[in-house]
Amino acid sequence: MSDKTINISDVVNLPLDLKEQKKALEQKSPAVVEGKVKVYDPNRDNVKNLLEMLKNRLSRQTVSSLVGCVHCGMCSDSCHYALARPHDPTMTPAYKADQIRQIFKRHIDWAGRVFPWWVHAKTPKNDEDLNRLKNIVFGTCTGCRRCTLNCPMGVDTAVLVRLTRGLLTELGIVPEGVFVVDKDSWETGNQMGVSQEDYIETLEWQQEEVQAELDDPSFKISIDKEDCDFMYTVNPREIKYDPRSIGYACKIFHIAGESWTMPSFGWDQTNFGLFSGDDKLGGYIAKNLYEAARRLKVKRIVISECGHGYRSSRWEGYNWAKYKQDIPSESIMITLIRYINRGLIKVDPSRNPLPVTYHDSCNLARSGDLTEEPRWILERVCTDFREMYPNRSDNFCCTGGGGALSMVEYKPLRMEVAKIKADQLIATGAKLVCTSCHNCVDGLSDLIKHYKLDMKIVQILDLVAEALVIPEKNEKK
Amino acid sequence: MSEFLRILEDEVQIVALAFMATVYTIRLIWMFRFKAGKEVTNPVGSPRVGAAYSMMNVAMPWAMESARKNLSFYVQFVIFHLGVLVAITATFILPYWPEFFEAEPIVRIFQLFMGAAFAVGLIRFIRRITSPVMRLISTPDDYFSVALLTAWFAAGVFAMPNQHEISEWPLILFFGMTTLFLIYVPFSKISHYLYYPFTRYFLGKTMGHRGVFPRKKGGEKPAGME
Repeated sequence: MSDKTINISDVVNLPLDLKEQKKALEQKSPAVVEGKVKVYDPNRDNVKNLLEMLKNRLSRQTVSSLVGCVHCGMCSDSCHYALARPHDPTMTPAYKADQIRQIFKRHIDWAGRVFPWWVHAKTPKNDEDLNRLKNIVFGTCTGCRRCTLNCPMGVDTAVLVRLTRGLLTELGIVPEGVFVVDKDSWETGNQMGVSQEDYIETLEWQQEEVQAELDDPSFKISIDKEDCDFMYTVNPREIKYDPRSIGYACKIFHIAGESWTMPSFGWDQTNFGLFSGDDKLGGYIAKNLYEAARRLKVKRIVISECGHGYRSSRWEGYNWAKYKQDIPSESIMITLIRYINRGLIKVDPSRNPLPVTYHDSCNLARSGDLTEEPRWILERVCTDFREMYPNRSDNFCCTGGGGALSMVEYKPLRMEVAKIKADQLIATGAKLVCTSCHNCVDGLSDLIKHYKLDMKIVQILDLVAEALVIPEKNEKK
Repeated sequence: MSEFLRILEDEVQIVALAFMATVYTIRLIWMFRFKAGKEVTNPVGSPRVGAAYSMMNVAMPWAMESARKNLSFYVQFVIFHLGVLVAITATFILPYWPEFFEAEPIVRIFQLFMGAAFAVGLIRFIRRITSPVMRLISTPDDYFSVALLTAWFAAGVFAMPNQHEISEWPLILFFGMTTLFLIYVPFSKISHYLYYPFTRYFLGKTMGHRGVFPRKKGGEKPAGME
């Protein structure tokens, strides 16, 4: 295993990379001129703007987390960055949150305004300070919320990190990858910039694949069909890199006798607003999805396997968009449980004989309600399911959360701190690590490669599809 | 009892308490002027149950990994906060029910709690100075607050016999520090107990709404089984 240690000052002092931002400005990209994605402007008083935005964005909840920290240091034991770098106190969640807390104290809280040195209240002096702040909140935290659930005071450090990210995103002081994904999201309605043509073609391709597999030309993936039971929404990564998962899901829906559709627009269940901290982007993407469901008059929304997608579409998106949840939404895991439980599909666990462990996505288990559901399914589609310890809401982040996968400049640090996750995986002795999140698939893949683990990554749908007993044609009728 | 000590134990404490209550009220009004976050989604769990669970977390060391892994720290936390409770109680009993401390076992029990809290305070101060993590995140207020509380516990140990006829200095020191506390606390991190219910309530409400709190230990019936 690698024992290379990153010099954290090299990470914190990484410069602001502006080439994509400059290019967008030169091209007068509509997303930029409308002010949706902010471009960094060194001539603007960014510090002043940040302070003004901070005042406007504080809520009762964030203020309670800002004033509630007692600096007890208990959070250092719960963060994978801090655990993997015990020699480095700057990895302590309280220290990371203090970067915004100090600004809050200096400008909003009373003790800090009168005696700043007494409570370490500070103000950023210039854009270099803001750039360092950017490197801390984007580069040294995945917003996994493990520290939040382990804070005796209930301080939500991850929310403070996200708040800070949002302020910096408004100023264009963001990692290059975040800027690009934000821009793609605004311009195309999905975070990977998938064109509608590519999306439709991929669905048609998967339709043909399933037709051939089932030897059933009647199988169809309907697009924009109204009055179906549900609308299926996917992760753009499935279109670009893992289209089989869409085929698997639709095959299962077909065998279960469902009526479902997929929207031609508003199909991205993921939401980069969660990671960039941009609530406006979050609201825009989420609203596209909810409006698609309303337009198609479906009874519910089914969200494909993705941790941050589920959290964004099921929980946060409604709040960002201020959109009343009038159509229920559920994870595909719930849909699968319903099918198996009602006998609408049959599964044969002997088809998945390798030892499997389950990695709980932070967004499903700590910021969402799904911990028992994946286990219920895995116990029925595999013969050797092994728990990982710790698990459920105590599990460690895949280290690719919080948009970390898009920020390549922080990858060496991410791989170093992934040791804690690698050790956790090795201890299971499993050959397959299953997760219900595309982000975790990529995060875990990176660390499995880096630490040379003898493991493969799968998702719940992969295992269900493998175990699926396809009914004979006459049996189906 | 000298007039000075009598005033210090009575009028001065009342004024200091009134000051603290006023500042706290202003503080809470200030906090509630910030907009409240609103959850518009259909709930999976109960926000009330989540909030109650969250607020009771402090009494459930098994429910939080940080407490499970650091049981000695948790025990210190309990002792320290019990010491605070006992010391605060003493500040009310000494002036208004002095006969209470005529029984020696009671004096000894109060001294035991405050003595133990003093020891924990010392441990905590040393930890804050020696641990690189604690040094990095500590402010002068953090050091001062722990030091002041620790010294207050020590003063309490000597004041508890309440023998002003022998010497008033332990009582003057204890009540003098109490006055200082009442005035200083609203501006320091010691006022965390004022925020605790709110911080935990807000987190618990959201987590309860989403079905994350109470935390699952396994074996629960999954959704989709209706």
